[in-house]
Amino acid sequence: MSTLPFASYSSPDLEKQFVVDPSGPQYQTTDGVTTGPSPHVLNAGQVDKDKPAPPKQMDNGEFTALGCLRAQLTGLQDDINKFLTDRMEHAKRKKAKLDQDKDRDNRINKEIKDLLDGGDDDNNGDDSSQ
Amino acid sequence: MNHLDHNLHLTIPFPNDRYSEVAVKVLRPDPILRPEDFQVEYKSKGNLLEIDFKSVDDRVLRVGVSSVIDSVKTIVETIDELDYM
Repeated sequence: MSTLPFASYSSPDLEKQFVVDPSGPQYQTTDGVTTGPSPHVLNAGQVDKDKPAPPKQMDNGEFTALGCLRAQLTGLQDDINKFLTDRMEHAKRKKAKLDQDKDRDNRINKEIKDLLDGGDDDNNGDDSSQ
Repeated sequence: MNHLDHNLHLTIPFPNDRYSEVAVKVLRPDPILRPEDFQVEYKSKGNLLEIDFKSVDDRVLRVGVSSVIDSVKTIVETIDELDYM
């Protein structure tokens, strides 16, 4: 039976697993990097009053089982947030490229159409004899 | 109907069955604001809390998943402070 949180992602073009490494520092803190105020806000002097409490500790200084779980969830949440943010950026760039390609195709098609349609007139702007 | 083809499955092991059942009961009443774009299902299997997310895209999935994990962390902290021995 699994003792660590685990996540799996799937979309039409990609599958990905998220696993927790309990020895990794990002899975031993409740202070996530993708949650809470942005560095921009903190650098402007804002105090983070909603900062999560650190994992609860037992008398011997070790984290409680639920304290460990909360820290592991924080790290897993960061992993998922970063991954999905990258995917969003990728989708945005892909859409921008598609829009750009579409604009270019429309422009080329219009130029071809203008050339074909205007071919009979041979209107070069100097023709004022009409 | 939108295609909810961006999915995430999350498994969270609690120390015992009761805590995973409590988590499901706490999470389930939360309303989903746009069910045509995002759906979430909670199940308790023994000590495991199983959460299935289905979304129309990665942006909506990110917002929904992070929000639910925030809620789960609050549940975990509350149990740790008030119930856990």
